[in-house]
Amino acid sequence: MRRAWALLRALSTDWLRNREAVFFAFLFPVILLLIFGSVFGGGTGEFGLHVQNNDVGPDGQPTNLSATFVDALSETGALSVSQVDPGRDVAAWSEETGATRVLVVPEGFAAQVRAASADARRAVIVDTLARAGTVNDSTRAAVRDQLPANATDADPAVVRFLAASDDEAAPAIRGVVGSVVARFNERAVGVDTPPARVESGALGGQNLDGADYYLPALLAAVVMINGLITLTTVVAEFTADGTLKRLVATPLRRRDWILATVVQQSVLTLLVTALMVAVAHLVFGVSVVPGPLAIGLLLLGTVGFAGFGMALGSLVDGPEAATSLGMAVALPMMFVSGVFWELDLMPGFLQTLATVLPLYHFHRGLRRLMVLGTTEGVLVPFVVLGVVAVAGLVAALATTTWRDF
Amino acid sequence: MTVEDLTRRYGDTVALDDVSFEVEPNEVFALVGPNGAGKTTIVEILECLRTPTSGSASVLGHDTVAEPDRVKERIGVVPQSFHTFDRLTVRENVSLVRRLYDEGPAVATILERLDLTDYADTRFAALSGGYQRRTGLAMALVSDPEVLFLDEPTTGLDPAARRATWDQVRHLTDLGTTVVLTTHYMAEVEELADRVALLVDGRLEAVDAVDSLVEAYGGEVKLVVETGEDDAAVESALRDAATEVYRDESGALVGLFEDRLVAQETFGRLHELSGDRSIDLTAAGMDEVFLRLAGTTLDSRGEAR
Repeated sequence: MRRAWALLRALSTDWLRNREAVFFAFLFPVILLLIFGSVFGGGTGEFGLHVQNNDVGPDGQPTNLSATFVDALSETGALSVSQVDPGRDVAAWSEETGATRVLVVPEGFAAQVRAASADARRAVIVDTLARAGTVNDSTRAAVRDQLPANATDADPAVVRFLAASDDEAAPAIRGVVGSVVARFNERAVGVDTPPARVESGALGGQNLDGADYYLPALLAAVVMINGLITLTTVVAEFTADGTLKRLVATPLRRRDWILATVVQQSVLTLLVTALMVAVAHLVFGVSVVPGPLAIGLLLLGTVGFAGFGMALGSLVDGPEAATSLGMAVALPMMFVSGVFWELDLMPGFLQTLATVLPLYHFHRGLRRLMVLGTTEGVLVPFVVLGVVAVAGLVAALATTTWRDF
Repeated sequence: MTVEDLTRRYGDTVALDDVSFEVEPNEVFALVGPNGAGKTTIVEILECLRTPTSGSASVLGHDTVAEPDRVKERIGVVPQSFHTFDRLTVRENVSLVRRLYDEGPAVATILERLDLTDYADTRFAALSGGYQRRTGLAMALVSDPEVLFLDEPTTGLDPAARRATWDQVRHLTDLGTTVVLTTHYMAEVEELADRVALLVDGRLEAVDAVDSLVEAYGGEVKLVVETGEDDAAVESALRDAATEVYRDESGALVGLFEDRLVAQETFGRLHELSGDRSIDLTAAGMDEVFLRLAGTTLDSRGEAR
């Protein structure tokens, strides 16, 4: 232990004087945090959308159901909704105003929604009765008779999304509208009163923005980069230039070398975590702070990636090859694991691939612990990172040369 | 130290071929030979850094394969291409290695002994080659080793730095340290070594005291003639009389003579042929031993000519 401690001090000093290592360990993640925090946390993050609600009652006011639908669009947080007067000619209006996209809610929207959902609502009632006893034809007739007079089979209400052909944001907005409609349909089944509000923006009871969201993901990515790229390069450099060989000629043991390196990486993780949390707090007012479980997960990830970094560094000839190999492993994993964007935006096979990557579980676990403030669903990340940590240490022990360089 | 029937193969290449010798306590033992002769392989086996294919080696009574930890605690090592943490200072590098041993002198004492005090706070990467080597020696001495391995300790050093290293080695032997060094500088062998093992292509050609080898293989005297335009005539005259003729590192012609009288007569004849050219009549040394046993001489980089 005394030898490992001596080596830990030397490795830490050498690392902190290594400009490239310091850049990738401290400045690079802070720069990423500032960029992502600013891009996704500083602006409104909303697309403009004009909505013409033609479903108005005799008093000229929108029906409850159509108003709720329009409110739901606003409450996604992705759309900034402005109203277009009902009854106006949309084509003429857009030409006049230069608007490139508008959503038209048709007259009779509420009635159509109710009518179109009659079958589903009937099915729910029949299913409920069936669970209570036998359902026969007379029961079905009774159910039909008890439905409102206008509750007959009907076509669904059609909400029309009109967009100019050169509107690049139109597909994304169409997707948001589609998801609101899907959620609206789901809620409309068997419900006579307007659906509940669309929930957003109050995760874990905190007010979170982009920086809160990206901080855990960036921490996971930085731990991986330090382990798989920087440490891989440093180990390969020590091996190639004879520094490691000189140490091997002393009473230092292989386990001391691995222990000192892994502990040094763990200290580095704690330092960079503290730095990034501090920067995120000072610049973006981020309130998330990693608790003991999050720190535990960070350290498990550190041990795993450091172990594999040492293994990769021991297997290649020279620091240049080590950097290339580390990047070849780390960068695809970083992009596929959903560190920078949600997996939903990626093709299905990549989403499947992501779930077998340790970084995916790493940042998902950190997000649950740090952003959502819940331990629910973190068992899998802990198990995965635990297995990775053990495998990393075994790989480091198996590949670190202590004879016959 | 005992080396018995040591063989090391790398695939089809035989780096060491059944080598055996012993090193006595408190002697300076030199391993000499051209590059690729197997010097470093032997040293690294003795340092527990390499595993022999067959045979065995023991240092201070401990087998280097079975008991590496026991060996490492009692030896000091300056590897051939010595390197250490670039971004640590001399003091930090030496202190690190000092902490890896249970006992040894204070770091300040070592630095002072090697005239490194003024450079103690200089980062390793900023040192000249000579001071980097000296730092390596300091790191090797932090445990007061009983055996010190120096793998080509003066290669690439200027004459002053080389002499300083030799002085350190002499000082260490005065203190009772056993020194094993590899080198392709025959002058270094003559200057430092008590005994020498001569290796060629992984085989041990000879092992004995330097004086004994010179007496047995070096011949009585040698004539060294600096080169000139009419080398052919001089070389021809030299070859007629000498038992061996070769060119040394500087390109000068060297003739070896078994008989001192013949050498003196040739000296006079060459003077007539070569005019003002410098001709030295000296005693033979390890260069000549190496020539006789290996059939070649070495250039300054250790390559066979």
